[in-house]
Amino acid sequence: MTSPALEIRGLTKTFGENTAVDHVELSVPQGSFYGLVGQNGAGKTTTLSMAVGLLRPDAGSARIFGADVWADPAKAKQLVGVLPDGMAMPERLTGREVLTYLGLLRGLSKEVVAERAEELLSVLELDMAEKTLVIEYSTGMRKKIGLATALLHAPKLLVLDEPFEAVDPVSAATIKQILRGFVAGGGSVVLSSHVMALVEQLCDHVGVIDKGRVAAAGPLDEVRGQATLEDRFVELVGAGSTAAKGLSWL
Amino acid sequence: MAVALTMARMKMSILRHSMKGQQGGTMAGAGGLGVLLAGGTIVLAFLGGDWLAAAYTVWMLGWIIGPVFSGGGDETLRPEFFSLLGLRPQRMAAGLLVAAFVGVAPAVSLLALGGLLVVGVREGVAGALVAVPAMVLQLAVFVLLSKVTVALLGLALGSRAGAIGAGLINGVILAFLGQIWVFMVALGQGGQIPAFVRYLPSGWGLLAVQGQYLALAAMAVLIVLLLAAWAALLARRAGRSRPSTRGRRPMRAATPHGAVVAKELRSWTRDLVRNHQLAFAFTYGVAFAAVPLLVGISQLVPLAGPIFIMMAAAMTSNAYGADGTAHWLTLMTPGASDVRGRQLAWLTAVGPIGLVLAVVSTAAVGGPWPLVMAATFALLGGAAGLVSLMSVMALIPGIDPRNRGGNPLRTSEDDGSATGMAYLMLVLVAVTAAPAVLVALRYGWWGVPAGLLTGVLCWWGFGLLAERRLTARGPELLHLMRTGRRPDSGKPASGAFDLPGNMSPTQRTIVLICGAFGAIPLVPQGIIAMVFLADGQLRHSWFLATYMPPALRWPVAIGFVVLGIAMYGTALALWSRAKKAAAR
Repeated sequence: MTSPALEIRGLTKTFGENTAVDHVELSVPQGSFYGLVGQNGAGKTTTLSMAVGLLRPDAGSARIFGADVWADPAKAKQLVGVLPDGMAMPERLTGREVLTYLGLLRGLSKEVVAERAEELLSVLELDMAEKTLVIEYSTGMRKKIGLATALLHAPKLLVLDEPFEAVDPVSAATIKQILRGFVAGGGSVVLSSHVMALVEQLCDHVGVIDKGRVAAAGPLDEVRGQATLEDRFVELVGAGSTAAKGLSWL
Repeated sequence: MAVALTMARMKMSILRHSMKGQQGGTMAGAGGLGVLLAGGTIVLAFLGGDWLAAAYTVWMLGWIIGPVFSGGGDETLRPEFFSLLGLRPQRMAAGLLVAAFVGVAPAVSLLALGGLLVVGVREGVAGALVAVPAMVLQLAVFVLLSKVTVALLGLALGSRAGAIGAGLINGVILAFLGQIWVFMVALGQGGQIPAFVRYLPSGWGLLAVQGQYLALAAMAVLIVLLLAAWAALLARRAGRSRPSTRGRRPMRAATPHGAVVAKELRSWTRDLVRNHQLAFAFTYGVAFAAVPLLVGISQLVPLAGPIFIMMAAAMTSNAYGADGTAHWLTLMTPGASDVRGRQLAWLTAVGPIGLVLAVVSTAAVGGPWPLVMAATFALLGGAAGLVSLMSVMALIPGIDPRNRGGNPLRTSEDDGSATGMAYLMLVLVAVTAAPAVLVALRYGWWGVPAGLLTGVLCWWGFGLLAERRLTARGPELLHLMRTGRRPDSGKPASGAFDLPGNMSPTQRTIVLICGAFGAIPLVPQGIIAMVFLADGQLRHSWFLATYMPPALRWPVAIGFVVLGIAMYGTALALWSRAKKAAAR
């Protein structure tokens, strides 16, 4: 049996008194498009950070194609491309320079880096901003250059934290197309989002995280059953009554 | 007034929250030192002459120049917080001004201005009555001068020319403050403080108390003008600074190591804050070394290069923190040596300037070549090693560059720790040069290979330690930068100068005193005195060893060095012991 693209076993993280992630278990099959949904503060970002080696878990393990992220980081990190939410980049470089820098760090040859950077910038429509430093990028452009860095070294798994937040509809369509192509070519994608429609539209697997625990996980059709994902989600996280509340002064 | 009071209350609340954490220790330490200085100022009020006016000039310069060195000054309340409220600029500036009166620095300054009350009481009833408004107005002048300077600097840092120009000016001013003894000696020889000091804005409060009530009105007018200027500058602050968008040279690196160097060198040339820091360190070195020429001392001139290198190290001591969460990319590419690349880039940016400065300044006074060259090589290596090691070991979480808003100098929320780290770095880098300097003093040219040797060792060894630490604790460092909190502890971030909570008050005091004053025996009374002795310069101002009988001169200077190292050693030992105990 082949190992899953990403396997999370019992990941736990406590900040002070607050248990942000509580024994999360997830398995992302190879070739799947996996959506991780949850409310703000449910623990999506913390889980994904631990899964790719950006945050040390208190307990549990994460494996990428069988390679343990913490015991064998060199191998695991070569197989994964990551887009974290809201992190800085080398801000004083242009988009092309960021890609060149990272490609070389990843051990790619100069020629390969130049070729891929050219293609990524053109597909993501960042080649218009050749002289713009990343610090001057808009939020949407930052997402796109982040996605480009995640794709640069031809990973087999993409882990994307809120890849569509603040991205305009045209760019979103481009990104969706790239991701679908990536999965069609045998790659696996994990993305987090709180836009249910988007997850329903893109993903074939879904995991629902609530208060640091997995409330439901599996193929999309199994999780949502007959209802829409949104209804099922509200039912799972038990936040039913908010719609009825109004604001007293409006 | 409602806006102003709300802002003041808001600042009180924020300060109260930050007092609870480790930052409280830094604040208490700084406050204690401030009270001592304020006490000293009040004592001057009992002396005649213009001593008090001179002291207030120093306080004013401190307010103006302090923010440059300590990360943009007090920004507990940022103008951006209120940009959506639609306040008129004047009203916002007035509110922020009132809020700016809340805090340790204004409280300490107000205490120092108590000297006006002393003078007033001695003048009579009228003097005493005038002293109270004079104190408040004088403090407002200090605070506003500081705010307007920071705002102007923020504008200046929007362009390369401005950044470098501001760095040059700040370097000169801070060097003058650092070499204040020169002016004291110069004045001591002349017997009098020049009269113009009395008529600087810092002396207007004193003039008012002494019966020239017009000065009171002058202060009020100055305050109105400064407030208007600040309001205008605040309105412009909303517009972000834009780095230049001229053609970019293509990246030619072909290896991971080369890529890090290329990235860092681009940051050095494009980041206007770094431009400012280098320009600042450069003029500081030159001015610090040249100022003693005013009293006929030319022996410090060759120190321009070494001092520039030390100051550059201090300014860049939080290298990783300043880059913020971009550290995640380093984590995702294990094996690529980020530390070594940064070290090489640091040397490339600072080394040539430091070397040229050392050679030119030494040639200008004809020596002592072995000593300066030994120190320069040892410092370059020591700094390249220590900057990487310190910024990893004692990382102070920075604000991500794109979130710094209108104050580019503000690279960290915890500016107290950042300043402490800069001072600590000055001292530590100086210590790395001590062996080579001693060899050079004793055996002349042998000091140069010694300097090269210790330099290479520091560069290699400290870099290795930094790299290991970065590999072992990389995720924890990233977490610290993201949240400002150390993992595992829910406590606020602690930097190099924050004391562990389990220390007794006595231990705290010892650590603070040793840390704050260890430099005095080590540098001026120890190392600089040795330079004078080696050069046969005797009876120099306050360098004790130069006044000793021949047999005692060297022992006294060496004794001071030992004392300084012992003070730092004690502070460090107590601190690390408590830190270890706290970790258990």
